[in-house]
Amino acid sequence: MKIIVCCKIVPNEEEIRVLPDRSLDLSATPWKISQYDLNALESGRQLAAETKGSVTALSVGGPSALDSTKIRKDVLSRGADDLKLVIDDSHSFSDSLETAKALAGALKNCGAFDVVLCGMGSSDLYLQETGIQTGALLGLPSINNVTAIRPAGEGLLEVERTLEEEVETLEVTLPAVLSVSSEINVPSVPAMREIMRAGKKPVAVLDDLGALDGASLEMLEQLAPEQQERRQEVIEGDGDEAVEALAQFLKKECL
Amino acid sequence: MLNQTVFVISDDTAALSELCAGAKSLATRVTAIVFGGQDTAESAASCGADAIRYCPVSEEGAPEDYASAIAAVVKKENQAFVMLHNSIRGRCLAGRIGVLLDTPVLTSVSAVAEEGGALVCRRMVYGGTAQRSERFAKPYGVATISGGAFEPGPALPTTTDIAQLEGAPEGGIRRISRAEKKEGGVNLVAAKRIVDVGRGLAAEEDLALCRELAGVLGAEVGCSRPVAENNKWLPKSSYMGITGVQVKPDVILTLGVSGQVQHIGGINKSRVIVAINKDKAAPIFKSCDFGLVGDLYKIVPALIKKLS
Repeated sequence: MKIIVCCKIVPNEEEIRVLPDRSLDLSATPWKISQYDLNALESGRQLAAETKGSVTALSVGGPSALDSTKIRKDVLSRGADDLKLVIDDSHSFSDSLETAKALAGALKNCGAFDVVLCGMGSSDLYLQETGIQTGALLGLPSINNVTAIRPAGEGLLEVERTLEEEVETLEVTLPAVLSVSSEINVPSVPAMREIMRAGKKPVAVLDDLGALDGASLEMLEQLAPEQQERRQEVIEGDGDEAVEALAQFLKKECL
Repeated sequence: MLNQTVFVISDDTAALSELCAGAKSLATRVTAIVFGGQDTAESAASCGADAIRYCPVSEEGAPEDYASAIAAVVKKENQAFVMLHNSIRGRCLAGRIGVLLDTPVLTSVSAVAEEGGALVCRRMVYGGTAQRSERFAKPYGVATISGGAFEPGPALPTTTDIAQLEGAPEGGIRRISRAEKKEGGVNLVAAKRIVDVGRGLAAEEDLALCRELAGVLGAEVGCSRPVAENNKWLPKSSYMGITGVQVKPDVILTLGVSGQVQHIGGINKSRVIVAINKDKAAPIFKSCDFGLVGDLYKIVPALIKKLS
């Protein structure tokens, strides 16, 4: 089975600087693989092992994110056989449709595939729409919140989808686009051997996207939430005195 | 108020009234789209919408199959805003409708307001590090709206404009079976007190200790993402964070929670945050009202004794 896993390279949200005026400074924020795409990579690795298939990782983004050898090796150490990139500096990929159009365009240049896997959402924007919109643009079945994937014979997958109150089992005709839930697996930590091999795996840069329609959303404001004042009364110690202080605090505040 | 139509789409009748009340405060015309037969539509007649269209989903079918029929109805308007319930199905349907209307989707929107003749949506980005306000630059906008975004409105007259949605379902994925979810869910959103378990807990059986403390405090037990997703010690509905449940109790007592931005984003509306963590440098201590730097395995049993 030929599997393509879409990975987004995002700024590490734990290292974004919030300036005194509550605006964000991302100039020194390092890049990382979007948290939830690690689940998609792991699903791809497992499905490829089960079906004796292959995994291609696909990422679309700007040069500052995708030119990094470290990031490329990181993606390739997680089960992908090769990496395809669309490096594009002229789009911001800040809306779900623009990103989906970019991915749909790139997928058309990837050759035949059986399944495209996406994470449940990106850890920067977390719109959770990329997989659904990419599938819809390509006219392929697409489904979100997939919690199990089982091969079900030629050209079919049996897919478990967990909703708020129920669990569905679906028969998906391939090719299809699946967004996997973060509960589908626990991404394995790459072994040293995989990290060593990653540097030797092929990386192909696909044609750039040309003209997309451009973003259809206008950003008016982006600010850190106002800091709620917290008292930060912190005591060091776990002896009786410290616990007594905590008990008194709880009794006074809320019990 | 905008002179246009807002479509409200919900697979959850409880969410419908809140969304319609919100839509009614934004625009002159509100059309609700519900899933079920005429009886479903009639039981929703006082949801606040001016008109209700129902999609008679069959036992084998799914609301998502109505994406193209809904998009066709929306397209009859020159300009419209489509608001959906922020559920998993809602987001799936929203994405498909968005493609058919050639527009992106904003999800988990926490507020919608009319500003300068346009509808502005607010949502969290970067795991709760910032709030972003955006508006659609195209005639159609699609957004899924989080619970609590709107105040429930005054009681509105019952509509009699009820009809089946034009168009047929299409593109369904075959469902082999469906089953009710087994995991017991807790309603953390409504909880007044919460014990919040983090990765500092060493073993699953130690949850008993956390539950004992919760019992003494009259609290529910929730957790951070890795406890639910990596360890699977608690159901996913128990994890709090920007990508999980967002809570607002009177008091939340965190045990071994480090305090990542993503998690804090889910608990920072709590009136009082108490932290117990052995790592003095844990960021949770910057976001707490009261904290103890120490071993939770010493503190919690002693605290239970004192409070019992």
